[in-house]
Amino acid sequence: MDVIESEGLTKRFGDVLAVDNVTFRVREGEIFGFLGPNGAGKTTTINMLITLMRPTEGSARVAGYDIIKEPDKVRKKIGVVFQDPTLDRRLTGWENLYIHGRLYGISSRELKLRIKELFEFVELKGWENKIVQYYSGGMMRRLEIARALLYNPEILFLDEPTLGLDPQSRAKVWDYIREIKSEEGMTIFLTTHYMEEAEKLCDRVAIIDYGRIIALGTVEELKSKVGNEIIYLNTTLDGQEKIFIERLRSLDSIRDLKVLKDGIISLSVNNAPETIPKVLQEAQRLEVEIREVRYLRPSLEDVFLQLTGKGLRDEEATFFDHVRMRRIRMRRGGRR
Amino acid sequence: MKRFIRTVHIMWYRQIKRFLRAKSRVIGSIVQPIFWLIFFGLGFSGTFRTMSGGMNRNIDYLPFLVPGVVMMSVFFGSFMSGISVIWDREFGFLKEVLVAPVSRDATILGRALGDSTTSVIRGILILSLASALAPSINLAGIPVVLVSMILVALSFTSFGIIIGSKMRSMEGFQLINTFLSMPILFLSGAFYPVQTMPTWMRAIAMINPLTYGVDAARIALTGTGVNSLIADIIMLLVTSSIFVSISAWVFRRTTIE
Repeated sequence: MDVIESEGLTKRFGDVLAVDNVTFRVREGEIFGFLGPNGAGKTTTINMLITLMRPTEGSARVAGYDIIKEPDKVRKKIGVVFQDPTLDRRLTGWENLYIHGRLYGISSRELKLRIKELFEFVELKGWENKIVQYYSGGMMRRLEIARALLYNPEILFLDEPTLGLDPQSRAKVWDYIREIKSEEGMTIFLTTHYMEEAEKLCDRVAIIDYGRIIALGTVEELKSKVGNEIIYLNTTLDGQEKIFIERLRSLDSIRDLKVLKDGIISLSVNNAPETIPKVLQEAQRLEVEIREVRYLRPSLEDVFLQLTGKGLRDEEATFFDHVRMRRIRMRRGGRR
Repeated sequence: MKRFIRTVHIMWYRQIKRFLRAKSRVIGSIVQPIFWLIFFGLGFSGTFRTMSGGMNRNIDYLPFLVPGVVMMSVFFGSFMSGISVIWDREFGFLKEVLVAPVSRDATILGRALGDSTTSVIRGILILSLASALAPSINLAGIPVVLVSMILVALSFTSFGIIIGSKMRSMEGFQLINTFLSMPILFLSGAFYPVQTMPTWMRAIAMINPLTYGVDAARIALTGTGVNSLIADIIMLLVTSSIFVSISAWVFRRTTIE
């Protein structure tokens, strides 16, 4: 059964098309991820699904209810952890959970038990009566996860659940998410720009860029789109490359070839260790200078790179991005 | 209905909790009106006696000022609570409320009631301190003062919420506050009687809800006033229901865009 059905969901802010005709389905009990760079339209999509924004066009059904016509019913079925904290920082952790539980109609007695359980679940025991202001970022996120679970929602929305967390806190949040899925069988919709997060957690992933879904499938399906292995060549563009690229295309072992930015060529191959010598031979013959060769087993990062011709994000730039950055920096330095 | 009341209650609880946490705010909000009473009231009372002539049937300035200052503190406390709507937007709590499966009317009413409660408590504290400074005031009038305080508080918390919901920055709210709070305060008869104002000022005072709150409290505490007590209370009931309704209407339409 599909618990989220999005049909041509579109959101425009003035001239900016934030979400462009997005159609997808989320199955009951799966972890579905929206993977894409910052500003790709992930949060806007979530905001529409959780009824905080009206779509400009299209619509969606969440837990069987129309997000435009029946927002109240949708709200009863969902739990949300927003990207930025939405806690009342002047109140204690316990009070934050208590207010939430009462808003969701949980009886006072049941609520007290549930809060106790959840403080244990997210390992915040002992912090119940501390003002939230004094929590660390990771603790706030955990408190928010606990809060979203109070009510046992059918669908849990997590917008960048580990954004800005240190590696330890991140691993903890991942554990909680897996536990929620395995024990409660809850459907989880999450957005992330960490491909590692999508790979480790999600049953299915939609890759989103400039407001459009550019690929959707299981992690394995997506990876198989780019072939088993990828070779990246960093070349100088000196006019020879056209012939060189033609030569490469004619090689049997190369399934796909793409010219990315700055003379970087990516090759999808079945067997990189066998192909690399052939490629280097061709390069030598045609006097194409190859500065660097790198080969990778594909990750979602490569899927993204293949589909969009750019890296997923700046902070964790790819190998060649570093090279590019260094060059830019040098150029800037020279001008000074 | 039960759900509605539960929502109102929990939002009220939240505002009260927040108020109790902000100790410095509580102290500041009590000290300031007391300073007004002492420095302005005592300092001005000599001049006032000669100016007012027969207008106020020989009441002293301090008893005249007490209901004004009490209402001033209720007004400020209530109106400034609108800024917490902006805070909630800034710190994200607004989203938590907006996505909750509850009636928005109930959340905003609970919030208005919570902030009204804190303003009224403040007003009561100031009234009890003030009664020591001006022993001639009629303490039997306190129930009436209480009613008018509640209605003034509801009107102006709702008014603050309306403005807070439309504003995106604290600075914007402060600007509106500067433009509105002084005229509302000075054109309410809190510090000097409405009757002696120039005609145009009096006209504005008559559409100012605070005027009726001050007047009702003054009649209850000193026996003198401009309107009849009944008229004052009716006016307050009308304005508070209008403002509460508008704030609910505005909040129902609030999005995070």
